[in-house]
Amino acid sequence: METLKSTFDFSDFPRLDITVAGAVSVFLLLFPVFPHSAFAMATMIQFLMFSLYGMGWNTIGGYGGQVDLGKAQYVGIGAFTTTVMLIRWDIPFWFSMPIGVCFSVMWSFMLGYPLFRLKGHYFAIATIAASLVLKDIFEVWDFVGAARGLEISPIKYSPPDFLRLLFKEDIYYYYVILAFFFIGILYVNWFRKSRLGFQLRSIKDNEEMAQSLGINAHWAKIKTYAIATAFVSVVGSFHACYIKNIEPEDTMSLDISILIALMAMLGGAGSLWGPIIGAGVLIPLKSYLKEWLGAQVGLVGIDLIIYGAIIMLVSAVEPRGIWGIVEKIRRRKKE
Amino acid sequence: MDILVGSISAGLLIGMVLALMALGLTIIFGVMEVVNFAHGEFLMVGMYTGLLTAQATGMDPLLTLPVAGIVGFSLGVICYFGFVKFLLRGPMVAQLLGTFGLMIFLRNLALLFFGAEDRAIHSGVLVGKSVEFGMGVIAPATKLAAAALSILSFAAVWLLMNKTKIGKALTATSLNAQGARYMGIPTERMNALAWGIGGATVSIAGALLVNFWSVNPFIGLLFTMIAFAIVALGGFGSVLGAFFAGLVVGIITEIPGIWDFFTYAFDSDWMSNVPMTSLKYMWVYLAYFLIVVFRPRGLFGWKR
Repeated sequence: METLKSTFDFSDFPRLDITVAGAVSVFLLLFPVFPHSAFAMATMIQFLMFSLYGMGWNTIGGYGGQVDLGKAQYVGIGAFTTTVMLIRWDIPFWFSMPIGVCFSVMWSFMLGYPLFRLKGHYFAIATIAASLVLKDIFEVWDFVGAARGLEISPIKYSPPDFLRLLFKEDIYYYYVILAFFFIGILYVNWFRKSRLGFQLRSIKDNEEMAQSLGINAHWAKIKTYAIATAFVSVVGSFHACYIKNIEPEDTMSLDISILIALMAMLGGAGSLWGPIIGAGVLIPLKSYLKEWLGAQVGLVGIDLIIYGAIIMLVSAVEPRGIWGIVEKIRRRKKE
Repeated sequence: MDILVGSISAGLLIGMVLALMALGLTIIFGVMEVVNFAHGEFLMVGMYTGLLTAQATGMDPLLTLPVAGIVGFSLGVICYFGFVKFLLRGPMVAQLLGTFGLMIFLRNLALLFFGAEDRAIHSGVLVGKSVEFGMGVIAPATKLAAAALSILSFAAVWLLMNKTKIGKALTATSLNAQGARYMGIPTERMNALAWGIGGATVSIAGALLVNFWSVNPFIGLLFTMIAFAIVALGGFGSVLGAFFAGLVVGIITEIPGIWDFFTYAFDSDWMSNVPMTSLKYMWVYLAYFLIVVFRPRGLFGWKR
């Protein structure tokens, strides 16, 4: 009961935040009702997916301050578990997704134990290395389709198939991921006020101090890493059903890992709204840049040049992200 | 036996070039504790510089090294004053993602200007020739020259770091930046110099590498990871460590050849079924992972 109350309790935010969040929720719920293009719909689904990735990353990276740049491997584990199970044994999404989460979490414990002995750069690069090792293994592993990847052919099933999560129209996917999105927000809202959440923030501020207060820092980090992993794995499973064609190269590449971390950092790591703001800014920007500029003849890569420049600008000028700016303005107003 | 010796010697030769490439990363990390994700992209810039200069002027590709060095040096200094200086004020995550942004930026700039196709050098005094040593060691002349010039550049940097006043100032900055500032060392300029030297060495390594390795805009990440592995093995910040670690990692990249040798030696079926060539670089990543987990200081490291 206490947990439930804490989950739905947003009262420590200023009224403005709650109003804006409410308005955005209503917009998200009603978005498909308005006339929209297929491209806008795809972008919105991408936005929701990446906010969820970002929320997951935010638990360990934002609240915990551990810069994890290897989240793509869990996208891969989730996506491939779902696809392999669907193709080989016809196990529907709602069963394979929890199994995928189990695999991811087990793998995250195995990796997390040695990884969290490291700090700073060492940790960040080691997560990348681990992720790339797994990607290389997936690329030669015939069971998961090797480098060609796997394809779910929707012809065998008659959409809309709610059990297997195979639909023709994007609107179904939209509402499924939107449900996950709200659950994710509620979970993180509970998490940040939970015992683990407070432990994590104290570790971020001063690890020696936290340890001297009796917090098992190593274990707290591993637990949070597993939570972050679970988020990413769920969305990875969803990604498999949504895209229907997954390859190690694009589900597990370093770009995805970085994009996940970037989302949270651009919005403001360590705050509830940060990853959502980050995804809300970056994903539409990225897809529209690609749509407008990516196809221009003679200008290959111009969209990614701008994208890279934006990353450079943000990290040089305001590394605490958009939410950092908002908080700065608020503090100034108070004074 | 021939395959084994051949693989190991090929690994050692490539390892010398890789060591030179990783040298810049270790200097930059040693002086200012910034990990440069764009390091592989600097290498790519060096490779394109060597290739295009050779093609434009008709010079032998090995003679383009000074051009590559100058381009790399200016690239490093420009990156420092234009960008990295501002990153230093932020938290570590900003440095990581910022240099990653630089990587995407440079990579796609190259894509825009040079196109996505592989480019390789086809002409030159040494291209296509090889030297036979016996014992199955046949080294392409370009690789031999590249290895020799790598050692030369490496020695030059080592002398610069250890025997000159500037090198001592750099070392002092990396040991204790604040103390160095009190002693009157312009640490800001030392940082820029570290980026300059880092850019120059990696660029020269690129110009050497392009003699036997085709270049495309996406080549950087692989070499960034290899450089990380070398730097981790040698110890972050250690110049001499980078050299020996480079040799080790060079041999690691030749694991498929060594694997082939054992496959023939044992005549084993399951071994020949392992797609070792596709897993070539996995061993580098795995080596990096194991090194940082079990020996974070590396072989010669003095910084933790």
